[in-house]
Amino acid sequence: MSGRTYTYLAALDGVIIGFFFVYSFFFNPNSRTVRNDVVQGFLIGFGLAFVTAQIYARIKTKKINGWTTMFGCGEPGNGFLFRAACAQVFPGPINVQKEAMYWTTDVDGPGHLLSGEHDYIMHFPAGQLPPNDAFWSLTMGDEHNRFVPNPINRYSVSDRSGLVPNADGFIDIYIQNAAPAGHESNWLPAPAGKFILWLRVYQPGAAILNGEYHVPPVVKVK
Amino acid sequence: MIEPEHLFIFGSIMLVTWFLFTYNWPRMILYVFKRAILGKGFGDGPIPINTLHTEPQTLFADPIHPPASASNLATTGVNRDTLLTVGVLDLSKGPQVLHVPDMNSRYYSVQFTDPSNNTVFAYVGRRTTGTEAGDYLITGPNRKGQAPSGMKQISSPNNSVLVLGRVLVESDVDLSNAHHLAEQIRFTPLSQEGSV
Repeated sequence: MSGRTYTYLAALDGVIIGFFFVYSFFFNPNSRTVRNDVVQGFLIGFGLAFVTAQIYARIKTKKINGWTTMFGCGEPGNGFLFRAACAQVFPGPINVQKEAMYWTTDVDGPGHLLSGEHDYIMHFPAGQLPPNDAFWSLTMGDEHNRFVPNPINRYSVSDRSGLVPNADGFIDIYIQNAAPAGHESNWLPAPAGKFILWLRVYQPGAAILNGEYHVPPVVKVK
Repeated sequence: MIEPEHLFIFGSIMLVTWFLFTYNWPRMILYVFKRAILGKGFGDGPIPINTLHTEPQTLFADPIHPPASASNLATTGVNRDTLLTVGVLDLSKGPQVLHVPDMNSRYYSVQFTDPSNNTVFAYVGRRTTGTEAGDYLITGPNRKGQAPSGMKQISSPNNSVLVLGRVLVESDVDLSNAHHLAEQIRFTPLSQEGSV
């Protein structure tokens, strides 16, 4: 089921449940007891907590070229709404942005879902690899965020994997299921089906922290 | 129509529930992490409180075939950059001393997270303290007094602390070296630190 279908069905569910809720709540006085008040209050409160955290996360998420990230998580001064939003986007003990930045995507530049049925490249102009004082990496995950088996046992490409620049200094990363003839050194093996990508930059440079640096889009070539 | 008192009860319960869940969301997520660390570790046994444990080399070397006993902690998400070292501190019975080895300019970090709200109150590591060997005194919120000389002090806002170490693996052949370094990131209780 595609993401859009899922969203429409979820919205339809919401409308139906909302209708019955409002109807029984406001127009059916026989059903009101204190017990109902407490149970419904708890359930609706829980649902609203989830929804507000989701909406706040959407607002705070930066999405450029299909890549999403969030600035400012993990800082001691953050308010409780922002902390909840961060916990939804990165469910775990997170680094602050000065230590490490994480981007993720499941779509290419125009917004179509990434799939091993197609071939993609990521194109880094000369000198435009993610600026950092430690390291960067681009890691492949299947649709369940697990490692992808492949014949060369390569699960990520990084500043340590010996990427070969083109004659003009550009670095192309080939993201596809079958090995790219002549470009094996820059191949990040994809599964046959859907996949996601993670870009990590540790000790990110100033251009990342001030928002000037944009991660290049994943471009479909076939 | 609904009577005002029902609306009042419903509304108050809803608002309180909303606030409590929103406020405690990070705490609930990190509670799962703490339970995983203390209960299963990386699948090679529980990691006792106030100790650190590094993920096994085999898990990093062959992430496609994690051992059947491996916990979600180690098998969720994809990371091929750093060896993960984890532990949970309880500072209520006294401070702990973190020892880090000389990392010789290799990237590493030790992250101190407050599990009550998932914020990071301190780092020891390449970015913040450099890569030389050193000892750091980690104290709880009720601790008064000075750190022993030669030791920097890190004050935790909470007696419970989630600790995550990350040590960069340069390449496949570097793995055992990186693992050896990660295992030397250790805690000892302050009382066992010689004369203090």
